Amino acid sequence: MSDSSDSQVSRRKFLKTVSQGAAAVATAGVAGGAMHAAATNPATDSGKKNKVQYGMLIDLRRCIGCQACTVACKAEADVPMGVSRSWVEYVEKGLYPNAGRSFLPRLCNHCSEPHCVRVCPTGATYERPQDGLIVIDQGVCIGCLYCAHACPYDMRFLNPVTRFADKCDMCIHRVSKGLVPSCVNTCQGRARIFGDVNDPNSEIHKLIARNPVSVIRETYGTQPNVYYIGLDTTDENTKKPGQYVRVTTNKANSPKRT
Amino acid sequence: MEQHLMWNWPMIVYLFLAGLGAGALAVSGIVVLWGPAGEFRHRAALIARLGAFIGPLPVIIGTGLLIYELGRPFRALNLFTSNFWFLALNPSPMNWGSWFILLFCIFATVYALTFIPWKSLLRGEWGERLEARGERLRAPMASICVPLAIAMAIYTAILLAAVPARPLWHTPVLWLLFTVSAISTGLSAIILVQRFMFRKPGAVRGAVRREDPAFRVTEYYLVSMKVLLIIAELVVIGLFFMFAHMTINSANFAVQTLLPGGEMATTFWVGVILVGLLMPAFIEGFYLLRTAVLGHEFEWPYVINVSAPIAILFGGLMLRYVIVVGGQITGPIGI
Repeated sequence: MSDSSDSQVSRRKFLKTVSQGAAAVATAGVAGGAMHAAATNPATDSGKKNKVQYGMLIDLRRCIGCQACTVACKAEADVPMGVSRSWVEYVEKGLYPNAGRSFLPRLCNHCSEPHCVRVCPTGATYERPQDGLIVIDQGVCIGCLYCAHACPYDMRFLNPVTRFADKCDMCIHRVSKGLVPSCVNTCQGRARIFGDVNDPNSEIHKLIARNPVSVIRETYGTQPNVYYIGLDTTDENTKKPGQYVRVTTNKANSPKRT
Repeated sequence: MEQHLMWNWPMIVYLFLAGLGAGALAVSGIVVLWGPAGEFRHRAALIARLGAFIGPLPVIIGTGLLIYELGRPFRALNLFTSNFWFLALNPSPMNWGSWFILLFCIFATVYALTFIPWKSLLRGEWGERLEARGERLRAPMASICVPLAIAMAIYTAILLAAVPARPLWHTPVLWLLFTVSAISTGLSAIILVQRFMFRKPGAVRGAVRREDPAFRVTEYYLVSMKVLLIIAELVVIGLFFMFAHMTINSANFAVQTLLPGGEMATTFWVGVILVGLLMPAFIEGFYLLRTAVLGHEFEWPYVINVSAPIAILFGGLMLRYVIVVGGQITGPIGI
């Protein structure tokens, strides 16, 4: 770690020296249009287009499946009966005596390349430039649910009370006041870590850098900002030969699991 | 199963009606622009008129259904008013579609107005003036309406195909399937209305008589065109399955709902393929071949030839049903 930070410093110094000449233009070009030299630092260059990009890291080794986050989210956002913004799925694998159960908390991934934003016909759902969160302007939304079809994670739903599209907004009312989201606040096992993934001093940044993290459905190219440690991507449709898998989700009225 | 359908029957009926209206308008406009002259002139004029009158109505009804489903009628105006420049630069298929619908409704209505026999409706100078203006406007309006109608038919498919998270919809063949089905159902609607008009032997509508030889020949060509469209649709459905099968991921998994053993299999194979495509193709093909091969005069039993267009219309509706519902009960596989 100290080696790499040394090399960062020397690199920054080098860039600073070079940038006094006209070569600074070329450097910026090489850095992919980055405005400042620090963006070329491998430790801080996350590939995210926003300067501040809030995200969440869920350590599945610490999750005990207590659903406290589900309840906290319901209470915090006043989510009506029958729908959820965030929930925990139970993944049962194996046959007795080699059986086990793991937990998979699900929430909006606040993708850096969100399909839902691209298809929205009114521009009601958008990416906040200040922190990269995907939010819905309920005053503009017409409730067509096109975004709900576009989301590969099935995180969007029709709010039965307001009749508009609804989803997890990472508690922007708390986050913008410097608090953590309600689900993070309540997490008993401290499985959820919230923070700015671009800030090299943040806990989430350090944990992502040091641990094998994965995201859900990476092949869709949405670049999710919710990261998991210890994620097992097996479900009923992709189980390996001889495996027994059963996934229990709160979406009881949906036969498919998306 | 009904609970989790986010796009329900209003969307299904809308897609069907929009395709039907666009198809009828496209057929009408094409007949006006490149239609036959001579002894077939009156016959072509009747088809163009029927198509023009059928065109805007289903689209307006379908759009009404969509707005009804939204629950807040005036919120739908946000499609046109909010973030205009943002959406012009980042267009969503639904935003394009809403502009298409708006333009379609306006131009198709104006186009239909040019076909109204004003002279017999209004006595005096106004009737003649409106009729003359209508005849002058007809061809220019048709040249606007044909591309608009085809764009409308394609958009109904692009709307669904634009979302990668619905593997059954996210296929490059869907626009072809919906466009062929739209023209097929539009033509069937025209033929059906016309069959009702010329029900009795000796029926006369304007300058067209059922006993004219031109009537019979046109009928023969119309029915052949319909059978060709059915064959084209079967080919496109084959391509649809091939595309899904050659894809090693969720699309392959999703198309299993339509294949035997899947949830939608009966609806698809009975409703769309058997009733909607094969049955009318065989019935009408039989009478066509009788004329083409044996040289008989083209003659049809009335009941059978009314039921064939109805079957095609039913098949078009079932196709939208199967695609819209099948796309929603399947999704990406794996986590």
